[in-house]
Amino acid sequence: MVANEAARMADEHLRTVLEGKSTLLFDGGMGTMLQAAGLKAGAAPELLCLSEPQTITDVHAAYVQAGSDVVTTNTFGANARKLAEGARAAGLVRVPSVAQVFHAAVACARAANPRYVAADIGPTGSLLRPLGTMSFDEAYDLFAEQVRAAADAGADLLIIETMADLLEAKAAVLAAKENSDLPIFCTMTFGEDGRTFLGTTPEVAATTLSALGVDVLGINCSLGPADVAPLAERMLPWATCPVMVQANAGLPSMEDGQTTYDIGPSEYCEAVRTMADAGVTVLGGCCGTTPDYVAGMREILDAHAPRPHTTRDDFVVTSAQQLFCLPAGQVGVIGERINPTGKRRLKDALRSSNYDYVMGEAISQEQAGAQVLDVNAGLPEIDEKATLVRLVEDLQGVTTLPLQIDSADPTAIEAAVRIYPGKPIINSVSGKRESLESVLPIARHYGCAVVGLALDDAGIPKTAKDRLAVARSIVQACEAHGIARQDILIDCLTMAVSTDQDAALTTLEAIRLVKDEFPGVRTVLGVSNISFGLPYRELLNATFLTAAFEAGLDMAIMNPLSRRFMDAVDAWRVLNGQDTGAQDYIAANADRKPAGAGSPATAPAQATEAQGAATAPSAAKQPAQDPAERVRSAVLQGRGEPVAQGVRELLSANAAPLELVNELLIPALDEVGERFEKGTFFLPQLMASAEAAKAGFAEVREATSSNEVASKGVVALCTVKGDIHDIGKNIVKMLLENYGYEVHDLGRDVEPQVLVDEVVRHHIRLAGLSALMTTTVPAMAQTIELLREQAPWCKVMVGGAVLNPEYARMVGADYYAKDASEAAHVAGEVLQVAEPCP
Amino acid sequence: MRYLGYAGQQITPELEERMDLMCDLCNEVAHPASVSCTYDAADLPLELPGKSIAEHLANAQEVVLFAATLGHGVDRELRRLSATDPLGQVLFDAAATAAIEREANRLEAQVRAQAAERGLFCSWRFSPGYGDLPLSVQPDLLRTLNATRRLGITLTPSNLMVPTKSVTAIVGVHPTPQPGLASSCAVCELAEFCALRSRGMRCGAQPTERGTPL
Repeated sequence: MVANEAARMADEHLRTVLEGKSTLLFDGGMGTMLQAAGLKAGAAPELLCLSEPQTITDVHAAYVQAGSDVVTTNTFGANARKLAEGARAAGLVRVPSVAQVFHAAVACARAANPRYVAADIGPTGSLLRPLGTMSFDEAYDLFAEQVRAAADAGADLLIIETMADLLEAKAAVLAAKENSDLPIFCTMTFGEDGRTFLGTTPEVAATTLSALGVDVLGINCSLGPADVAPLAERMLPWATCPVMVQANAGLPSMEDGQTTYDIGPSEYCEAVRTMADAGVTVLGGCCGTTPDYVAGMREILDAHAPRPHTTRDDFVVTSAQQLFCLPAGQVGVIGERINPTGKRRLKDALRSSNYDYVMGEAISQEQAGAQVLDVNAGLPEIDEKATLVRLVEDLQGVTTLPLQIDSADPTAIEAAVRIYPGKPIINSVSGKRESLESVLPIARHYGCAVVGLALDDAGIPKTAKDRLAVARSIVQACEAHGIARQDILIDCLTMAVSTDQDAALTTLEAIRLVKDEFPGVRTVLGVSNISFGLPYRELLNATFLTAAFEAGLDMAIMNPLSRRFMDAVDAWRVLNGQDTGAQDYIAANADRKPAGAGSPATAPAQATEAQGAATAPSAAKQPAQDPAERVRSAVLQGRGEPVAQGVRELLSANAAPLELVNELLIPALDEVGERFEKGTFFLPQLMASAEAAKAGFAEVREATSSNEVASKGVVALCTVKGDIHDIGKNIVKMLLENYGYEVHDLGRDVEPQVLVDEVVRHHIRLAGLSALMTTTVPAMAQTIELLREQAPWCKVMVGGAVLNPEYARMVGADYYAKDASEAAHVAGEVLQVAEPCP
Repeated sequence: MRYLGYAGQQITPELEERMDLMCDLCNEVAHPASVSCTYDAADLPLELPGKSIAEHLANAQEVVLFAATLGHGVDRELRRLSATDPLGQVLFDAAATAAIEREANRLEAQVRAQAAERGLFCSWRFSPGYGDLPLSVQPDLLRTLNATRRLGITLTPSNLMVPTKSVTAIVGVHPTPQPGLASSCAVCELAEFCALRSRGMRCGAQPTERGTPL
């Protein structure tokens, strides 16, 4: 079956290629041929389509002569951004438009009389967020312009190639799908470690690109063909479409400005033959290959019937770096902690844009054994769509687990899965007609797995049979939308046994019925509801979970930080044979003591709440010193555990929490600050002390209601637009938080308006701006100017390597803070003054 | 240590342990990679604007361009630490800065040794941002070395490199000894990678003060 049924085919032969029934031969390197024709490195070769069309046509013609079915237009870098740069470097006054270049390039290719013309689309050259600064939409717009130009110029197919970033590849593929009906070929480039520069593996690339609905996927550039062959073989089982390879002619070496490669045509073609045998049906060359290589490949393909490859039918989702595959019969864990429902701290964090807290939740769940993370930003008072997108984007920087996008709002779901660099799960669709019609097209278009809730307009069915009926209508609707069985997950819903004691058995029976009637469909379940209203809930939850696994549950949506939950999972994996030889179980439990009375099962969950704040009291008695003195000296030494312990002792001896903060922890921090200013402490010591004090603050907060230790005021912080250095800002943040200020951290490379909006929304009275580069100081001035206009009440402090008091005055700041300790002084000065009544 | 502003302060064992931990982590996630190419000084494929670089390359016969990076894994780790462990981020960042400097030293030592074998002399490595050589030369420099395709180095609109722990540099190869280098092998930062000393050769550095970049 062709992935993209609606694609416009140049002819019937191309359709058989996309069905995997015929082979196809591309051309070889363009750069190599241009270099041979005397083009210097550095200039933009795309411009030659306009200035020297005959040279370009000659290259194409040489490949047609050698047997290429497809020639690739000379448009690798022909996006608006790179053309402008190339034209500037070439000294051109007028920058040719993308459309002009594509028209000229397709004409050059057509003039060589090939069977097909492939319009070439290379990467933008900029890195997308969160590691880079380009937004998904900016990349999409650049690609969309190229796609429209290529289609308009009459290309037969699109080849998106040399992608290192899966998200950028996704932007290009979506731009191609949404702006043309041409067949889409997409290849990525891998290094010797078998990953792209951004860590994508061949399996992840094949799974994700297949899900997005490309017509052919594969590998180009990278390495020599012998090194690419094993990578291509790793792709095959995960690709639902034909696989293509265009390898380099070995490894390059550069001398006197010329690049040469070390593998000749015959050696190259030997390696290509093994790939054709393995099931690669579309071939061609990349850097260093010439018509000689193509002629060799022509011979191989002519003597070779295409080998169809088989595709696995496991449940599989991906992040940009990681593939999560769950073969039938195995069980998986979806972490549920990033969902504000019933979680006060997460609600606070989302309201105050404290995304770092959410990132911490992701990391701790990953460490505890979650395999997929559920992400939900459904809070009535925040912009759910914007927050969900922001969380999904930021999570890419801190976790490699695939995500489950959880929302009741289809527009929020679409916005989030669109910018997600992988194949996610959508949570969820229900049997309601409106839900099916709005969510399933999104799942299909973006290639997502989808959770179907067994409820419909009539509510949650009472009986297992009726839940099966809803599941049936969901499965049928999914299949009508072209969503594969293994991408469907049915949630049979958990109800509390305290209100209906048959609830558990009904759910378990429904799971059995669904698994029986729909082989291939998977089931998920959030289990915690079962124990609602009963004491010691974890025991019921874990027992129910085990029963659900026995009934055929594939994945549990649960709290992986709960030891008892994970114990149930680990134990089941021994019983169902998933944990081969019980190796993982033995490794985790060999030294474990039987749980004695009074040992709380929740301890591990608590330990991750505040880093450095160890909760287990040490058995060894500390020297009989005044606990206050011990706390003070432990803060100075930067040791968190003794600080937490001392504070606990003082609290249990009825010390007033507020006094502990103001008369013990803060003065200790002040002392650290003085030592830092004098140079007796260096930066890591200052920070270690701040961290130690934080452990003390955490204890105080545990012991009091939130009102008692009120925030001393709010400070907005960011690194300004254009700058991506955030360490200085993070240090300031850490110290300010310790002094009791609430910090709204906007991150790095922050648009002036984004900061101003935050300041206005929360009427923030102090903003801190950081810049490390001379070149980004103007952005600082702009941000301040905008603040003055729209938030005249807000004072501004600035800091960063290139700044000094004079510079600070020049950009219009109120204060210059040379380091974090001084920033804390400034905050004290600005925020101690009571806010004037409006 | 020097990237942390260390000046002999006393360090607790806990802090020392975390420094070691972050150095180990850096070594684990860093994938150093580099490209370099030598050009005839009269036929450079790109323009290097500014007085400082012109002075630096005066009388050079050849110009060596190189780019090196620790890869995106280091940036990803910095993101993780930025969200969860500010002190860890500072320590890790310092370890990574030291690692990329080391990689650049290794490359410079290689260039220097190759020149010395031909009886030629190198100036110290010069990078965009030093003197009046603007950062805006980065796009040309990366394109000339094909560094985006070969190493995965990209630029932000403000011409900062991502991965952030990346270096581009320019070394002149001259017929005469160049000023501004280490006064002796004992204080030379490249000594660790020197292929000459073990063979009884010298790179011909003059006993003058080494120029301090930025």
